Amino acid sequence: MKPAPLDYAAPETLAEAVALLADASREAKVIAGGQSLMPMLNMRLARPELLVDLRRVDGLDHIREEHGAIRIGAMTSKREVEQSPLVRERLPLLHAATLHVGHPQIRSRGTVGGSMAQADPAAEYPCVAVALGATMRVVGPGGERTIPAADFFVTYLTTALEEDEILVEVSFPVPAPGTGWSFTEISRRHGDFALAGAAITVALDGAGTVADSAIVLFGVGPGPVRAHAAEARIRGGRPGDELYREAGAAVAAALTDPPADVHADSEYRRHLAATMTTRGLAEAVQRT
Amino acid sequence: MTVEIPKSLAELPVGEPRWVGRRVRRTEDAALLTGRVEFIDDVQLPGMLHCAILRSPFAHARITSIDVSAALALDGVAAVVTGADARAWANPPRSAPEGWGALCIAAEKASFVGEPVAAVAATSRYVAEDALELIEVDYEPLDVVEDPFAAMQPDSELVHEDQGTNVMMQRVFTWGEVDAALAGAAHTFTERFRWNRLGANPTETYGCVCEWDPMSLDIVVRGAMQSPSSFALGRAATFGLASNKVRVVGHAHGGSFGGKGNARGTDIACMLSRKAGGRPVKWIEDRSEYMTAGASQAWDRHYEATLTTDAEGVVTALVVKLVDDIGASGDGFGAISAAKPLTAFTGPYTIPVARYDLTLVATNKVPASPYRGMGPPPHFFVLEQMMDIAARGLAIDPAEMRRRNFIPADRFPYTIPSGNEYDSGSYERVLDEALDLAGYEQLRKDQAAARAEGRLVGIGVASAIEPGVFDWNAYAIVGMPQTGVPEGATVGVDITGSITVRVGFSHEGQGQPTLVSQLVAEYFAVEMDAVRVVHLDTASAPPSFGPGGSRLGVAITGAVLGACERVRDKMATVVAAIMHCDAGDVELRDGRFRVAGRPEVDMTVAQVAGTMLARSDLLPEGMDPLPEATYVWTAPGRTPADEEGRAKSYLTAAQAVHVVVVEIDAETGVVEIVRYCLVDDCGTRLNPVVVEGQTDGSVAQGIGAALYEEYVYGDEAQPLTASFMDYLMPTINEVPAIEKREVVTPSPVSPLGAKGCGEGAMHTTPAAVMCAVNDALAPLGVMAREVPAAPNRVWNLLRSAGTQR
Amino acid sequence: MSEHTVEVTVNGVAYTATVDARTTLVDFLRAELGLTGTHVGCEHGVCGVCTVLVDGKATRSCLMLAVQADGLRITTVEGLAEAEGLHPIQEAFAEEHGLQCGFCTPGFLMATHELLEANPDPGDDEIRDVLGGQLCRCTGYQSILRSVHLAASKTRAQRAADAHA
Repeated sequence: MKPAPLDYAAPETLAEAVALLADASREAKVIAGGQSLMPMLNMRLARPELLVDLRRVDGLDHIREEHGAIRIGAMTSKREVEQSPLVRERLPLLHAATLHVGHPQIRSRGTVGGSMAQADPAAEYPCVAVALGATMRVVGPGGERTIPAADFFVTYLTTALEEDEILVEVSFPVPAPGTGWSFTEISRRHGDFALAGAAITVALDGAGTVADSAIVLFGVGPGPVRAHAAEARIRGGRPGDELYREAGAAVAAALTDPPADVHADSEYRRHLAATMTTRGLAEAVQRT
Repeated sequence: MTVEIPKSLAELPVGEPRWVGRRVRRTEDAALLTGRVEFIDDVQLPGMLHCAILRSPFAHARITSIDVSAALALDGVAAVVTGADARAWANPPRSAPEGWGALCIAAEKASFVGEPVAAVAATSRYVAEDALELIEVDYEPLDVVEDPFAAMQPDSELVHEDQGTNVMMQRVFTWGEVDAALAGAAHTFTERFRWNRLGANPTETYGCVCEWDPMSLDIVVRGAMQSPSSFALGRAATFGLASNKVRVVGHAHGGSFGGKGNARGTDIACMLSRKAGGRPVKWIEDRSEYMTAGASQAWDRHYEATLTTDAEGVVTALVVKLVDDIGASGDGFGAISAAKPLTAFTGPYTIPVARYDLTLVATNKVPASPYRGMGPPPHFFVLEQMMDIAARGLAIDPAEMRRRNFIPADRFPYTIPSGNEYDSGSYERVLDEALDLAGYEQLRKDQAAARAEGRLVGIGVASAIEPGVFDWNAYAIVGMPQTGVPEGATVGVDITGSITVRVGFSHEGQGQPTLVSQLVAEYFAVEMDAVRVVHLDTASAPPSFGPGGSRLGVAITGAVLGACERVRDKMATVVAAIMHCDAGDVELRDGRFRVAGRPEVDMTVAQVAGTMLARSDLLPEGMDPLPEATYVWTAPGRTPADEEGRAKSYLTAAQAVHVVVVEIDAETGVVEIVRYCLVDDCGTRLNPVVVEGQTDGSVAQGIGAALYEEYVYGDEAQPLTASFMDYLMPTINEVPAIEKREVVTPSPVSPLGAKGCGEGAMHTTPAAVMCAVNDALAPLGVMAREVPAAPNRVWNLLRSAGTQR
Repeated sequence: MSEHTVEVTVNGVAYTATVDARTTLVDFLRAELGLTGTHVGCEHGVCGVCTVLVDGKATRSCLMLAVQADGLRITTVEGLAEAEGLHPIQEAFAEEHGLQCGFCTPGFLMATHELLEANPDPGDDEIRDVLGGQLCRCTGYQSILRSVHLAASKTRAQRAADAHA
């Protein structure tokens, strides 16, 4: 279990990094924390000719609040996110989700950008990004652009990034005060990829009924799955067990063919998605 | 000359024992904790090459051609071997049952995904893996034998064409008047169960460094195997060499649990060495090789069991029908796991008659290997579920059900229907202690309250036997001819009085090196750190098997004490000669040789050794001047198996009762262990710290078996659990606090009264957890019959019970 | 082969070495530097046997290339204690029988080291959170949990003594 031959570069600027990716003569791949990529390299399931390591590029490791959003550099480790008072206070949903990502030893090197770009459908971060309406700032040969999280995750292990583009920052809008949230997941063991999970935000209006919500599921589709039908079902509804169960039922009805693997068949995943929705909504409403 | 091995601590030649039976820190730990122990992958030899193995992607396919020229041409590659080399140089290995072994490299067809097809030796593992990608193999896929029941059909594709069948063995063993008991039973309970493949997965995989001298044809294997001596004999047989041409150097290794020691990889590395002119070739089995082609998988079992009782719930007969999917060949020796239940077939109960309907089947899966417990753990899972089914059927509390059927303390030694003799036990006392520890009455009250709230809370009470000190005669039914498993030790005192013990086993983790020091330090009344323990290779060591079948602690105690006794006898002879008294009057006590009524006779062990080696003038002519002795211990009173497999086999029978509380999430099917209590009785505890460690570790593995671990095969017998991402071993988060107590009923037949305890809770934990799961499910009228009780499976049961909200 | 020069400080010793780009950090530490106390368990980042400290943080050395360690500070199990004697964490594991085969132990020690540096008085939950990333097949974790608590109390005592001195 050893990587195939490869070359390695650690450029000091984004421009150099982009140029290396854009060079069509070799198949190049970005390595950030490597916590998903390295196992693939060791098993020779991924075999790029060139690894472009972003570790020396300045300006990719930060967590700061600007214009109502928390901006997190792509090379920021999940451990930094976990330990950031700013994230804990302003994005408690992201903080909670982070604790479910692997273990501290993985979070120390695993990065925010790496998780987003890897786009594992069972991973926590893409789901949270969609639920919070994050935007991805990416840099390529033609300059910079931003991509809403909802458009960023295309399908299984595939994002909207072009081959010569680099994700440099994720910007999470800070939810309005009073927004309830929850992050629920079920996995075989603590720290494993989820069988199914849900990231939820909910806002109530003055009358105490649901004004707005985001219900996003993971582990049950080719990427984060926004439960539009369930959101529509609860809009204007009065919080309570019945409403939560209806949301779960709407999730179950809308899910088409959740993936099956050795740990969970499709029907079970559908059921878990509904259960996580029901439980998560109750938890989120409690936090409003 | 016969040697009397002390049967209790009181028989040791000291006043109050200072080391044996005490909570002693391990002597091996400092080196382990500082990274100084040389594990096999740490070995670097001059000129050493690195091996990588090309493996079949098909579960069943004919190899029509193979081209290794490009691999051989790659810079850094020194040698390549294929099935043709295996055919030229190697025999099919021994197997159980005999005749089902497969060459170390597939020559004509591959029979499981992961079977070696070719191998490379190169300057590094990286280059060797590069070279594998240059080997071209053409396969012609064959029908895959996936299911053991289909495999038994006459028209099935065959895994071994030469055998003409996939049935490796089919026999019915009947012990006593079973038909009469079945006919006369007041109540009969029958159920089916499924135990899925799982396995050892020590944190260190197997590895070896092999040298095969092309001139002398001598082989040296350094490796991380559980039993160096068995491994050496195996290599000699495979390569058609005299047994003294193979020398195995067993390394300290990172756990085994029965599942370590890859003969195929070793033989391949040996052949590569021969091709490379005798250069050392290192092969380190990587994790994916271990999981898909190593000694990683055990117990792929389909059960049907019948248990009958009288009107009062006393069990009158047990019938177990087992179809065991052994995989592609018998050289993993997984079949002996199907034989081992004979050692404790009826568990801790007085069940008078029993029948075992046993079928071993070959399929295109990884050859099965042993795993901790070696077969009884699934058997006891079945037996304990049957006890609970009967208890529920008769409205008897599960604890009471066990109590009614336990072998009473006054009936030992007790011979069970399948032939083995249990040495001693206090089963009811162990149960009482366990119920007390758990607060059983209160638990049942709490459970009733929880059930009233609609919660699925279950309490499991299970008991099992841990047969200790394995004997080959237990596996006679699958072709093992021997009786007895010798274990030796040499105890020597040097000219200055320092003591060295030489043994044939390697460090594996169960604290036996420390135990050797404890015993010798006690016997000769010295400090433990004054005793040096040396692990020898197979060319130098006395006969040894090493750890396995809960044997080494007991066996090495016998060997070391026997050697100590012999050294004492030799020294007593010397003292008698010098002091002109009768050797029979010379007594060793607290490290000094004395004679009653002769105060001037007072020599230390060191003085006697010094005299033997440096004062020949004082020794009578012809006296052996070597203050050293070897003793080879083998369990006393063992008997060869009869036609029905009955033998006095494993020497000791430890017993335990576990009380487990679980709660099942009614919506998700997730099982949570809320409490774990156990009481065990493994006789004299030679180092209680080590015994507790074995218990804790085996509880964790048992929890893994009950709830998490499973090797899954997909279509065409493709392995779907080839990494730790999918094969789920318990972490610290999955193992709850374990509350423990002990009962000590010494064995009357073993050294110091100790019983085998290394496999420990593995015998009881899966059964106990599943009893708890089924107790939780009982109100819904459904039952978990399949292990592991993974959440998807439990949810399916909940759904079938119609409880889904 | 793509060769790179790596300057790395391991256990306080500065090394300059030439490595193939694909060489993993754990293979570099073991084969090139001869620091074989760090073991290899799964090579896909799950078992934690190969855990070392990279700039003080517990890290899987199988999930990092040696070239990526250029300029970084690494501590392995060989760097925990002085040349003779045991580090308090090692001492605690010995006292509480926190190891059996010992193969996974270096990883546990390094993960524990990072934990106790940050918090010398962790609760069970915090210990379980950190050590959940380390597999042990022998101990059932009971004695490891006790070992870490004992190591924590030794660390606190040490710090109190240092503060006093």
